[in-house]
Amino acid sequence: MAAYTLRRLWQFVPTLAGVVLLVFFLFNWVGGDPAYLLAGKISNPAQIENIRRQLGVDQSYAVQLGIFVKQVVSADFGASWATNERVADIFATRLGPSLTVLVPLLVISTLLGLAAAMLVAYLRGSITDRAVMIACTVGQSISILVYILVFQYLLAYHLGWFPVQGWGTTFSENLLRYSALAIVVGVAVSLAPDIRLYRTFFLDEINQDYVRTARAKGMSEGRVMWVHVLRNAAIPIVTNVLLQLPGLLAGAFLIERFFGIPGIGREVILAVERSDFPVIKAVTVYVAIATMIVNLAADLLYRAIDPRVQLK
Amino acid sequence: MTEQGVWTLAWLRFSRDRVGFASLMVVLVYVGIMLAAAIGWLARDWSEERGVSYAPPTFLGPDRSAAAAAIAEQRGPGDDYGIPDPLAADLAEIAKGLTGTGASEARSPTLAFGADKWGRDVLQKTLKGAQVSLFVGLAAALLATLLGTIFGALAGFRGGWVDDIFNWLYSVFTSIPYLLLVLAVAAVVNQKGVATVILILGLTGWTGIFRLVRAEYMKHKVREYVLAADAIGASPARRMFVHILPNVSHVVLVQLSLHVVLFIKSEVILTFLGFGVGVDTVSWGSMLAEAGSELLLGKWWQITAATIAMALLVTAFSLFTDAMRDALDPRLR
Amino acid sequence: MSARALCLAVLLQACAAFGADKVLRVTFQAAETGFDPVRVSDYYSGSIIEAIFEPLLTYDYLARPARLVPKTAEALPQVSADGRTYTLKVRKGIYFSDDASFKGARRELTAQDYAYSIKRFFDPRYRSPYAFIFTGKIVGLDAKQTAAFDYDAPVAGLQTPDRYTLVIRLREPDINFAHVLAFPLVGAVAREAIDAYGEESPSHPVGTGAFRLKRYVRSSKIVLERNPSFRETRWDFDPGDNARFRALAERMRGKRLPAIDGVEVSIMEETQSRWLAFQRGETDIEYQLAEVAPTFLGDDGRLRPEFQRRGIQLDRSTDAEIIYLFFNMQDKTVGGFTKERIALRRAIAMAYKVEDQIRIIRKGQAVRAHYPIPAGVAGHDPDYRNSIPYDPAAANALLERYGYRKGADGYRRHPDGQPLVIRYGSMPTERDRQFDELMKRSLDSIGLRLEIQKERFPEMIKLQKECRVMVHHSAWIADYPDGDNFMQLLYGPNTHESNNACYQSKDFDRRYEKSRRLPDGPERDRLYHEMTRIMELDTAWLLTDTRIRNSLQQPRVVGYTKHPVLHAEWMYLDLE
Repeated sequence: MAAYTLRRLWQFVPTLAGVVLLVFFLFNWVGGDPAYLLAGKISNPAQIENIRRQLGVDQSYAVQLGIFVKQVVSADFGASWATNERVADIFATRLGPSLTVLVPLLVISTLLGLAAAMLVAYLRGSITDRAVMIACTVGQSISILVYILVFQYLLAYHLGWFPVQGWGTTFSENLLRYSALAIVVGVAVSLAPDIRLYRTFFLDEINQDYVRTARAKGMSEGRVMWVHVLRNAAIPIVTNVLLQLPGLLAGAFLIERFFGIPGIGREVILAVERSDFPVIKAVTVYVAIATMIVNLAADLLYRAIDPRVQLK
Repeated sequence: MTEQGVWTLAWLRFSRDRVGFASLMVVLVYVGIMLAAAIGWLARDWSEERGVSYAPPTFLGPDRSAAAAAIAEQRGPGDDYGIPDPLAADLAEIAKGLTGTGASEARSPTLAFGADKWGRDVLQKTLKGAQVSLFVGLAAALLATLLGTIFGALAGFRGGWVDDIFNWLYSVFTSIPYLLLVLAVAAVVNQKGVATVILILGLTGWTGIFRLVRAEYMKHKVREYVLAADAIGASPARRMFVHILPNVSHVVLVQLSLHVVLFIKSEVILTFLGFGVGVDTVSWGSMLAEAGSELLLGKWWQITAATIAMALLVTAFSLFTDAMRDALDPRLR
Repeated sequence: MSARALCLAVLLQACAAFGADKVLRVTFQAAETGFDPVRVSDYYSGSIIEAIFEPLLTYDYLARPARLVPKTAEALPQVSADGRTYTLKVRKGIYFSDDASFKGARRELTAQDYAYSIKRFFDPRYRSPYAFIFTGKIVGLDAKQTAAFDYDAPVAGLQTPDRYTLVIRLREPDINFAHVLAFPLVGAVAREAIDAYGEESPSHPVGTGAFRLKRYVRSSKIVLERNPSFRETRWDFDPGDNARFRALAERMRGKRLPAIDGVEVSIMEETQSRWLAFQRGETDIEYQLAEVAPTFLGDDGRLRPEFQRRGIQLDRSTDAEIIYLFFNMQDKTVGGFTKERIALRRAIAMAYKVEDQIRIIRKGQAVRAHYPIPAGVAGHDPDYRNSIPYDPAAANALLERYGYRKGADGYRRHPDGQPLVIRYGSMPTERDRQFDELMKRSLDSIGLRLEIQKERFPEMIKLQKECRVMVHHSAWIADYPDGDNFMQLLYGPNTHESNNACYQSKDFDRRYEKSRRLPDGPERDRLYHEMTRIMELDTAWLLTDTRIRNSLQQPRVVGYTKHPVLHAEWMYLDLE
């Protein structure tokens, strides 16, 4: 296990190197020149040169790449080109709001999904099972964009149950008032695929020998589900949930944008629109590292729980 | 059991699944629409402005508020301020040559399912959009599956440094936030129109398939039938694609189907972000992207048409995929 | 809820209503970048800067067209006979808001602060996007782009003979220099504060204005509160003959400014979010609602009855802006001054349906722009009419005449048979997609093949400045209310700067240089008319429209009217 862990950690380096190279060439080749954007409405070539010098983009690719690598190692990406805010500060302040929405969202949708999936797995083959599965399929076939637009319009505007958008000062206010609708939409969107997925996990377990043995020993179906199946299905479920988090951080931009949540996803869009390379660099590197760590943790967890699993 | 037998059995199982079969029929109807629209039998004039701007659906009746009068061109006194027009002579002759302006096209106050802001028929746009969206989904899924299968086969079968390289590529692709990956591919691809979307989706979506196919190949390559093939001198390529692939094909097929669904939905998001199809075509994604501002104005027909059409196809495709998976691998039932 | 709890709740509510702060809630459509005047260029950051910092001059709140009045200066500047020396006296007794960098002392505003603030525009460290308003104008200040700036070195053109007097010497007479002094970004900053905060200055603005920064969550929320050090100022503007302004003046006259206690700005990018928030009473003023205008405006241009019943107020005005379609005059396909190329551009201009742009894309909330200088700006001529009509039939005939024949694919080719493709620059937003569609329909009507060149905003700017965009839409909002600010967009030497069309016409340039020496009046108007005609006949631009600004206010907002130049009228209004 230790050797495996070490090897995987060592593999972080080439992966990170690949990510760094990809982002670097992406930005320099086609990322748009921020100097003109920063130069304002009227500018002359001398001013453009000055800006490029200040940003450091007038140096050769090799030098810039070297600077990038140094930044990755020291975890200091400098300041945003657009707002001059320190990138580290940007992360510190945006991470909170993102997590305030994402963590409850994952928890609630997982719990609800598990409950529903267990129910239909218990009732497998019945009308209820088929009806729920078809409902899930239909629910999954509607674009998240439609969910956001319609929910915001109906629940926030027409019924007035939630504020339309915004963010407050205290944590409880943010959690209970402003994140609420975003969480509702997020749960609505992820419930259907979660139920389908967890149902598959449960059915995988239900068909295992030990379940048949338990039933043969006279255990009630309920106990079989709750005590045995759930426990064994828990690992793939939990790891599945954990694996989603890094991607969700940067990927929840639609929800953050429509509901005015000052999170990381929204920051990524802003940075892309403004060709703000320091922020793009930092987000990419941090999310890449987070993804690799979470993947490694998930694999290790699998191995720890089930020694039969061969880690290659 | 021969390959023929496996497929025939699967088909028999499938045809007994009524829901799955019905779903296949629906999907085939959509494929028919796609082909008909591509040839031009259907929705050929989708871009014609037949209705007034935002014409309501016929069952609602025409918009009773006064039609916005055309803004009259205020042509004032023709003072040329002392600067002569180099084209003055030409324009004067042209004006003499042209008779009265052509009769303005009559615009219909309502259309079957309403019109968009330019007066284009929503129903026609939905049908034409089906062509583009379904085509994008299929083509992108095929591309992603092709890449994922080939990469997965090579990585799983060869192992060693080949595996390491593909794993590295996989890590890089899955570690970068999706938005930035899309940006990267969009920038590199630099195609116009539908090709862009297909390439973006295909070049970013192969990772899931790769992982599965690689696992399958790793499982199969130590099986007896493969070792036997090796013993009789089959080349690695032959073993990979002639011997193992058919046994893995059911996994690949299911993944292909899943990705068609995924990409049809992803196209909507890509179009919203601005990487979608151009203005000379319409897709459900472009229809939904306009929906945001229209919903506020109370014009719900375009978002409804696109959502229903897409929901129907995606649901049918998903149910079809489930049925196919059940038929191909009954152990999972 | 028990009866007792209910009573308590009602009581608390009543108490809250009495003691509540009067806080104005507004929104920005796009994120701000920061609040250091020399570091920013965007409209929204400018609004906050306008509320916190004070320039020497400003514009009268009600006077139309906009009229300069003193702000921190005692009077309008004394201009020497040769037009090159400006003398201003800063009012005594104006103090910066308290800040740690002043080490507990009250800090009075001096003329030296303005000299310092102007010098900062020349410091290469700040790479100020608005340096151009001063570049090359002040004696002794050159835009040296490399050396570290020495703030203590004496500058001949910026003198402070005593504590409150500022003397500025220009290289050449500049009729519009007073407007530059009214620019919100030329507000006074304190050197101690800038030195103390260094790179953090954008988030720690310290000014003499009516408001100061209370809370700041980047790209999300900006909260301003009343500046306790703000001097006593009372609402006292002359409404003139305007009935609406008279009613406004009656309610506001004599009130101490600012009448409100604070401003809360939320950044909301999506129109749906802003509109729903306003309707639910979560925001007080909303003017970025162009897309949903038909929901609250009737066809007569008045507020719909259901909104009038709720007491919502509507304020309509046009911005001091023009929006235009430009052709790159240096482009290989559409540029040049030969008759064939003029005919090509003219045909495109005649086929572009501006009416549809106004009716469908702007939802009727725009007026046709005929003249490069919009209403509200000195030099505007309401009677001038664009000489280019909408006439696709004539456009087709014109193209035929000049040899642009249709090929086998149905699209026209160059007279020499080469394929002809019009590349229209556009950005990947939903709004731009609508313009793409309109351009496609327009070009289809004359048989020209269209190719959309999609670039993101930063890249588009760069390509424009390098004259590599063939056809594109552009907009220009007045930096100051004088026509020269608009005419300079077509001045040859401004190519690669603000002259997007890369238009270089000797006839135009000659007249422009003459116009710069003239004040606003009939002589300058004549030159402007000729210059506009020259541009039209060369068809470098097609002027399309000017947007109508519909400002909605909740019933409790009093005294608000959108000013053509000022960004933020917060200190002049009240909440009841």
